[in-house]
Amino acid sequence: MAANFWTSTQRAHWQLTREKIADMRKALDEEDTNRGLGLSYPLPDHKQLQLYFHSCLQRLARRLQLRQQPLATAETYLKRFYLKVSIRDTNPYLMLSTCVYLACKMEECPQHIRGVVNEARALFQEFIPTDIAKLAECEFHLISELNSYLIVHHPYRTLMEVQTPLKLSSDEIMAALSFLNDSYITDLILLYPPHTIAFTAIFLAVFVRPAIHTQANLNASGSTAMTISGGGAGASGNGSNSIVPSPTTQSSAVSAASTVGPQSSARLSQMSDWFAESGVEMEGIIECTQEMISLYDTWETWTDKVCRESVARLIRGRQLS
Amino acid sequence: MEDQSLRPSSAPATSTSIMPLPPYTSKVKVLDKYHIIGFISSGTYGRVYKARSRHPGTTGEFAIKKFKPDKEGEVVNYTGISQSACREMALNSELAHENVIHLHEIILEDKCIYMVFEYAEHDLLQIVHHHSHPERRLIPEATVRSILWQLLNGVSYLHQNWVMHRDLKPANIMVTAAGEVKIGDLGLARVFWKPLAALFNGDKVVVTIWYRAPELLLGSRHYTAAIDLWAVGCIFAELLALRPIFKGEEAKMDSKKTVPFQRNQMQKIVEILGTPTKERWQSITQLPEYPQMATFKPYNCNLETWYHQVGATNKMGYELLSGLLEFDPVKRLTAQQALEHRYFTEGPKLSLNAFEGSFIEYPHRRVSSDDNDIRTSSLPGTKRSGLPDDSLQPRTKRMKAGD
Repeated sequence: MAANFWTSTQRAHWQLTREKIADMRKALDEEDTNRGLGLSYPLPDHKQLQLYFHSCLQRLARRLQLRQQPLATAETYLKRFYLKVSIRDTNPYLMLSTCVYLACKMEECPQHIRGVVNEARALFQEFIPTDIAKLAECEFHLISELNSYLIVHHPYRTLMEVQTPLKLSSDEIMAALSFLNDSYITDLILLYPPHTIAFTAIFLAVFVRPAIHTQANLNASGSTAMTISGGGAGASGNGSNSIVPSPTTQSSAVSAASTVGPQSSARLSQMSDWFAESGVEMEGIIECTQEMISLYDTWETWTDKVCRESVARLIRGRQLS
Repeated sequence: MEDQSLRPSSAPATSTSIMPLPPYTSKVKVLDKYHIIGFISSGTYGRVYKARSRHPGTTGEFAIKKFKPDKEGEVVNYTGISQSACREMALNSELAHENVIHLHEIILEDKCIYMVFEYAEHDLLQIVHHHSHPERRLIPEATVRSILWQLLNGVSYLHQNWVMHRDLKPANIMVTAAGEVKIGDLGLARVFWKPLAALFNGDKVVVTIWYRAPELLLGSRHYTAAIDLWAVGCIFAELLALRPIFKGEEAKMDSKKTVPFQRNQMQKIVEILGTPTKERWQSITQLPEYPQMATFKPYNCNLETWYHQVGATNKMGYELLSGLLEFDPVKRLTAQQALEHRYFTEGPKLSLNAFEGSFIEYPHRRVSSDDNDIRTSSLPGTKRSGLPDDSLQPRTKRMKAGD
């Protein structure tokens, strides 16, 4: 159903397990190896690529002045697609542009196909074919692999619904929004129901972020940037500001979360009660939190250079553009 | 001196690794899976064919909706899938209800979209036509009640799932041979849970003019699901009267693509329901086209007279009709309220087979078997072989701001 996650195609067909996702990726990799593609076109680890595709999508969304929701839908489409088709069999830039084009239609903020192609070309130059028919053909491929299941349930909705009962401050809401935006770099949307992801972001925003903040006060600048840019993402509504947290503060923040003061421990138990009453599985929230921490760890050493070069080599080599 | 050959090369190592991607091809071929029985109808979207599955285990018949590919001269090119095809694919894949047409599968092949639906033998346009030609014979009340209840049940399901149909009209309401009502054509439907922008900013014109709610005619920017209930009211009236209740003439869009005030349509409504006042519809004065209304001659409500004139007698039916044709969208019955109305709960037991106890034989959908080449790229425009389709009715204009 369009508004009910429990009967949605997302839950029925696109809620996977970690094992399943690993198997699907492994099968694609093995096939690439068998065809000699793996050797000819080495690609960085999928976590690295996810960061890269996320940043590409975000830059394209910013140029098109998109809001967070169509961007999140596009990110979800791309993740689903690359579980079924090898990256090496695609032009990733064309693919992610197609995801944006389709997501805009589905989120009822359609963009002209020519406009998407033009903006994508401004970012990815010769890797995007000028002919709009190429992107339109790619759309067929995308919809076909997604089995026409195009409606995506996002955690943003849960966040909006619970902000009043959970008495979230506007700072906390902004921070939670930023965590949600970052969650699309990970596989969370393929693994958990949207409300679990939303509660994770709230948990991080209420208990982990203040720790970051305290840490920031001690260490001077660093992570204050995170609070500010996080706020910007929510307030402007176009979600174009990414948080690139300073890695050191991130990791220390997480450890700091375990040493919360008496006031927040009262709030923690209050919120845990509320989560328990709503039937939210704490286990899921803990797993999601770990996933987010692992993301910030990867982010620490990540640069787009390797990804950019290997994708360029792939597209040139396979004459995809 | 550094040996250049030892440096890693950025170009692929061998020519064997150059493997250009093949073009998109469908894994499923429509003709491998289906036997096309013949052509049913055509519209602006494309054409509909009747088909049977070639798979021995899959019984029953299907209606395959082929979306028209865009053509530049004789060459068919990919141009991007239309917003309405996207909506229909996505919503029909997501929805599952006995009163919403079931989507069997979607095949994307050769630059065309084929949506394979369950087949329905009849539609309300055809049923109304059968009762008005050659001579006028009322539709049995049991049939009207059953159709209306099932229609409301489907609308209620859509609304519970935050889907607005936005193009309910007799031609879009199917009835199977077993008398089950199926709401079809979700090409204008959309999710209305916290829209990212005002609905008005999307599609400038929604709902075929005869079924268009007064708040839309008066230019409301933030309309609600109540527009679907107005359309249901109009369909109910049409099942009773065997002709559209408000058969206005559509004012054409001017060259600047500004949406004109539909004076004639509003006039038709006011002639039967009376002039809406601030007392009947509190927020009416805030609507953009309200000043236009002020020039209308005042009318009293004549709905009851109209109801008797068309030969309807059931008092509770009149109550329900006036609840659906309520000017104020806030006061208009919701689908759920309408389902609980006395018209359904009192009197003889309601059947979920619209034809139960009826001896009327409705003609089968006409299918022309001489036109069964689904692969032909000939443009739609060939007239529907059976009864008049919505080409005789004003069509909803599907215009999007983004196009």
